[in-house]
Amino acid sequence: MTRVLLVEDDAWLAEVEASIIADAGYEVQIAPHAPAAIEIVDAFHPEVIVLDVLLAGATAFALLNELQSYSDTGMVPVILCTNIADQFDAKKLNEYGVKRVVDKTTMYSADLVAAIRSVEL
Amino acid sequence: MNRGEGSFEVTPLVAAAHELKAPLALVRQLALRLGDEHLSDAERKKLLHQTVLTTERALRLTSDLTKAARLDSALFQLEPINPDQLCRDVVSELQPLFAAYGRSVAVKGRRHPLLLVANRDLLRRILLGFSDNALHYSQPGTAVHLQIQAFKKSGIVRVGVRDFGPALSSDMWRTLQKKLESAPQTIHARPESSGLGLFIASQFADAMNGRIGAVRHKDGATFYVELQASNQLSFL
Repeated sequence: MTRVLLVEDDAWLAEVEASIIADAGYEVQIAPHAPAAIEIVDAFHPEVIVLDVLLAGATAFALLNELQSYSDTGMVPVILCTNIADQFDAKKLNEYGVKRVVDKTTMYSADLVAAIRSVEL
Repeated sequence: MNRGEGSFEVTPLVAAAHELKAPLALVRQLALRLGDEHLSDAERKKLLHQTVLTTERALRLTSDLTKAARLDSALFQLEPINPDQLCRDVVSELQPLFAAYGRSVAVKGRRHPLLLVANRDLLRRILLGFSDNALHYSQPGTAVHLQIQAFKKSGIVRVGVRDFGPALSSDMWRTLQKKLESAPQTIHARPESSGLGLFIASQFADAMNGRIGAVRHKDGATFYVELQASNQLSFL
């Protein structure tokens, strides 16, 4: 079962997204902020990371930099799932491991699942 | 890091749109989830409750924005107010929201009662805003504290909202302090914030001849408003 790490600081949205991901047959863990995500990465070894951008504490970009600084975590595909998707271009963020950008304001559950399927290693 | 596109100026209008995006997106996702026919009655009830509470948070922001826009033309009565009682009212109002998020909110009361000079509605709105912010940044299972502190020499009363969550980085703290010093203007409290909440709070505080500020802790932050102590304090 593919392991998905969901980094989302809104607990209720995290619950909804985690249910969508789990219902699609993935094993999912939630991190409410970047430091927790780093801890979970070490123990859970996610194969896909779904990452909110505007997090409490350190931003998603601090986490992306941290992930990119190690050869193993730098290989994990990242999906940005954000309310400000219009500000990002996945192609330009490819060097940070970002493979897809999903707009949280317009997404349906199928969009999130399709994004994960498209980046699974 | 280059996000892939240039940044844009954060006007109050842009900030308002940004701040409302998150609750609207959440309400939409909760509503979509409600459409799942496999949900139990308990899950459905929970989602409905979350939807109502999220809508109320968004409505509070729109109400504050309307109030802030009318500050210049409106007359606000300043009167002696018992901050302890007001904090208790705010706590009662927010208890359901905090409970639904698995957090608690409480007043750390004073032994000796005191009064400050404020407009009850504006002060209530400031504290609701700070508490809402604290809810977002506090860790599950922690309590947010509303605290009252008197500075007798300067005749100031400080009402603060303390959260227990991720610490602000030094860089973010320096930015916040710089912005707080030159308030009122749009200030970025924390990374995902447009600063609109603090901008509104600083305007409300200004209308009561007060000021807002923040204290950084290793495990969170306190956002506060300082107001004049009431002379009626001496009669208590």
